[in-house]
Amino acid sequence: MAFTGVGLGLRRPHMEQVAALDAAPVPFWEIAPENVVGQGGTRHRLVMGILERDAVLTHGLSMSMGGFDAWAPEVLDRLVAFLKATGTPWHSEHLCWSSFGGAHTHELLPMPFTREAARHAIARVKALQAKLPVPFLLENISYYAALGQPEMSERDFLLEVLEGADCGWLLDINNVYVNSVNHGFDPKVWLTGMPLHRVAQMHIAGHTWQEAEGVLLDTHGAPVVDPVVDLMAWVLPRIGRPVPVLLERDHEIPDLAVLLAERERLQSAYEGALTGVLHA
Amino acid sequence: MPESRLARLQAAVLDLTLDADGEAFHADPAAWAQTRGLAHADGRALADRRDRWGLYRDLVRTALVEPLGDTFPITQTLLEDASAWPACVDAFLASRTVSSPYYRDVAPAFVAWLADSHWGLERWPFLLQLAHYEAVELEVLRHPDAPRPADLHAEPACERIAVLDPAARNLAYGFAVQVATVEAPEPPAACAWLLCHRDPEGAFRVLELTPHVSALLARSQEGQALGPALAELGADPDEAFTLLRDLRRRGAIQGFRPA
Ligand SMILES: [Fe+2]
Repeated sequence: MAFTGVGLGLRRPHMEQVAALDAAPVPFWEIAPENVVGQGGTRHRLVMGILERDAVLTHGLSMSMGGFDAWAPEVLDRLVAFLKATGTPWHSEHLCWSSFGGAHTHELLPMPFTREAARHAIARVKALQAKLPVPFLLENISYYAALGQPEMSERDFLLEVLEGADCGWLLDINNVYVNSVNHGFDPKVWLTGMPLHRVAQMHIAGHTWQEAEGVLLDTHGAPVVDPVVDLMAWVLPRIGRPVPVLLERDHEIPDLAVLLAERERLQSAYEGALTGVLHA
Repeated sequence: MPESRLARLQAAVLDLTLDADGEAFHADPAAWAQTRGLAHADGRALADRRDRWGLYRDLVRTALVEPLGDTFPITQTLLEDASAWPACVDAFLASRTVSSPYYRDVAPAFVAWLADSHWGLERWPFLLQLAHYEAVELEVLRHPDAPRPADLHAEPACERIAVLDPAARNLAYGFAVQVATVEAPEPPAACAWLLCHRDPEGAFRVLELTPHVSALLARSQEGQALGPALAELGADPDEAFTLLRDLRRRGAIQGFRPA
């Protein structure tokens, strides 16, 4: 199965509708194993039916790659079984931490941009990779503040972890954009010199301007804005391969038809950006 | 105090997002950072972006509170009416009871915390039972499917036990939690024996049982055959068996097997 083009996150409000279709309305879905494994019932069987019928990429939310809490054996077992069952070609998680001392925040919290933190994250990525049946990708997050006194930039931190862990990169282009606005840098300069050969998948999403705090929030709660589409189109030929792009939408979820129309728009931009590259 | 700088920073962020007293950090971030064993420069970095760490506090708390509103609308209304919901949420978050990587486990963690902490039970003796009942629907609906045991009989008999569907819950409450609503969130003090289960289509159903039937099912779960259990309970076998057949038809009971 070749994963390419623009896919969509499979979300709860659309489940019945998607299950009733004869075939997938998208090249592939993305789904979080945590929201599916270890469950049963009608809705669960509906999801599993879709995952059996359609191509799917898995994306984890809560393994706290930069944290210290051990992964429970049953959590790992369920994850591995799910990755095998879906046939996903890789599995991704964020470069962040979400739990500490056994307390889970269910939030993507930033790592300190320090050598110590990079070493720790590299070891955790390698440890998880060793347990997974498929290659592992690390995703860059949106961050609103550096944690502690940085020893390097966020970009160099990500670079150090990707190289040190020798893993794939899930390039979230909206997160690069959100960070560029919040921290004042040029996203194209940021991307230049990054290891684009490691990119196996991209994320694209909408964000929200938070007037009170004066910050762009990575909410996945709005349509993708043009500058982010442009940035995707800018980076794709530089990656030089038709890597799959996933449209994330987790809040203010509109009708499936609305998301499919947005996907079409992104697909056109995607194909336009790669035309010269792929036929050259 | 954690040994590494990385762990101390993460522990500090956990405190500043989950501790009930959000003002302690904002009032004097430098002093606050010192009590967490942070290096001076790390404390200063947190203080410099106290607005953004306030934002992270909101994000974490929103993420953990959202499932509570979805799962416990009646409990939330009850406590909101008494202006006690924020204090309840504060105490729950500060307890750091949420430990599962599965987001769906946030609501069950709230029930577990109420049971452990006895929060609010003096003023609302039914609080834990009400919250427990509100969480049962999702628990039943999402219960993992298992293959049906092959050796089950369709008919009850004195030497057999009734086998509950694994998703079904045979519950006894001291308050009539099933009649509580958002409009009238206080359940009356009256015992309720409820069988919560999935029907053959997979939908959530609640049956009100008599104490005898509830006890009979409980004894079956403990392995006591229907005959001796009915004798001890002083119940009529014919009547009980008719009801058990009905529960099997409704999907609450899987079938019957020798004790
Ligand atoms: Fe993402």
